[in-house]
Amino acid sequence: MNGRLEITGLKKRFGGLTAVNGVSFAVEPGEVIGLLGPNGSGKTTVMNMVSGALRADAGSIRFDGVELTRLKPNKIAKHGVARTFQLVRPLPTLSVAENVLLSFAFGRKRHWGREAQMLVEEKLEFVGLGGRGGEEVGNLTYIDQKRMELARALASEPKLLLLDEWLAGLNPSELRIGIDLVRHLQGLGMSVLLVEHIMEAVRALCSRCVVMSAGEVIASGESEAVLKAPQVISAYLGDDHA
Amino acid sequence: MKQTVFILLGLAVLALLAAAPYLLSDYGTALLLGMTGYITLATAWAMFSGPTRYVSLATVAFFGIGAYTVAVLSEVLPYPLVLLVAALIGLTVAIIVGLSTLRLAGVYFVIFTFGLAELVRQTVTWWEVNVTETLGRYIFLPFEGRHIYWQLLALLVVTLLISWWIGRSRYGLALKAIGDDETVAEHAGINVPGLKLALFAISATIITLVGAIQAPRWTYIEPSIVFNPTVSFLTLIMALLGGPSKLWGPMVGAIPLFLLFEWLSANFPDHFSILLGALFIMIVFFMPKGILAKLEDLRAGGAS
Ligand SMILES: Nc1ncnc2c1ncn2[C@@H]1O[C@H](COP(=O)(O)OP(=O)(O)OP(=O)(O)O)[C@@H](O)[C@H]1O
Ligand SMILES: [Mg+2]
Repeated sequence: MNGRLEITGLKKRFGGLTAVNGVSFAVEPGEVIGLLGPNGSGKTTVMNMVSGALRADAGSIRFDGVELTRLKPNKIAKHGVARTFQLVRPLPTLSVAENVLLSFAFGRKRHWGREAQMLVEEKLEFVGLGGRGGEEVGNLTYIDQKRMELARALASEPKLLLLDEWLAGLNPSELRIGIDLVRHLQGLGMSVLLVEHIMEAVRALCSRCVVMSAGEVIASGESEAVLKAPQVISAYLGDDHA
Repeated sequence: MKQTVFILLGLAVLALLAAAPYLLSDYGTALLLGMTGYITLATAWAMFSGPTRYVSLATVAFFGIGAYTVAVLSEVLPYPLVLLVAALIGLTVAIIVGLSTLRLAGVYFVIFTFGLAELVRQTVTWWEVNVTETLGRYIFLPFEGRHIYWQLLALLVVTLLISWWIGRSRYGLALKAIGDDETVAEHAGINVPGLKLALFAISATIITLVGAIQAPRWTYIEPSIVFNPTVSFLTLIMALLGGPSKLWGPMVGAIPLFLLFEWLSANFPDHFSILLGALFIMIVFFMPKGILAKLEDLRAGGAS
């Protein structure tokens, strides 16, 4: 699995607000990288531009040698980039299995019929929802909806996975399971761009981090070093950590 | 095994329906004809609007385009070609309308499609009055009720087959996803605008053909007859009553409502619109997902 994500000079304005202001970084193939920053620093906006939900005002996003910057989300998904949403977005009229089946049917490769059903069951098992494909998504707990959403993202068979605070809201034992899942994905060769506030998860998963503040990258590099950098502590971790 | 039984049963019912004009009076055939027309309209409407929840009130725009094409061309071209031209005009208008409106969401789409139907009607009226200087046209085609009925029956079968095929293909799943959340659908790899446009166009083309096939029934047509907005509302209510997200839903809604409307318009012609409105509200209020879903709920409730 090859696939390098290279972001250069990315910009996005919302009216008078510059949400992302010249962001550049790269995700190497097979790397789990953390994208950190205080609330409103522009992390989700970067994710949205990579996945095609928003169009960048300037800059470029290249993945696997392909320019994604002007592509629609469905094309980007077919190039091997999948995402979860910060606020879970289950499709309520579809069953749990159908939510996942959708991505298999329209993802990077096309699966349908018997074969797809088996693949769906595999993915559900992988995220811990084995045997629950027939349930309505509305009846799932919040955590299980997050699991379903991960399965749906994985079902488009991405090379790069964008996780927007996917671990947020989990209790300590669920968090451990979540971290193991992401680590397992990395073991399979997948690159992951992880937006996360939970330091425990970042330390456990990311060898490198990029930290944003007010739309700009203020630090990047080895996680341990970045998390100790004074500008990061003052911008992001707040006074009580200083 | 079970499937074979279903297919045989379906063919038997179809044979019976095809033979119906020989078994029924002229009035009975006319009733069956009208009913088949509305079942086809409701099924075609639900094909697009059911899963995507884009409520279209443009039904009569396409229906009227079909009828008018036949009125204008029936003495110029052979009949099969007239139908083909009508279908192509319907398809073209649907693609133009689709490209310009399917970005609209919710109530804006509803209003636009309603406006579209009025716009088409006014344009045709203006054209007839000012350019051709005839308001109203005669259609002389050697068709009796049963001939029209058979054509509609064939169209209905094709419509049901298309709808069934879409429902079990991956596009059926994609359309439901679009109805739920277009952003998620796009991120799952679906070409959302393309798929919406395709379905809208297929649905509109079938609706155009219903209008075209039914046109000879009237012998005399004018814009206020074939562009009557009631057609759009009836189609909508029928599909909603039966349940637009199920293959048989529109049919289940169309049959009783068609009979009821026939009875109402025969017995209470002056109050028809009010009764129609009241019924509409009751259906939306008591059975927002339609009869079929209601029955399923009742069954599930009874079982547990
Ligand atoms: N669609 C939008 N329209 C207008 N402003 C927006 C939009 N999306 C984001 N913003 C603004 O852009 C800025 C960056 O938002 P963004 O969601 O990217 O931050 P974030 O780093 O993901 O924050 P959080 O940690 O709270 O999720 C914020 O000020 C936000 O209010
Ligand atoms: Mg965010």
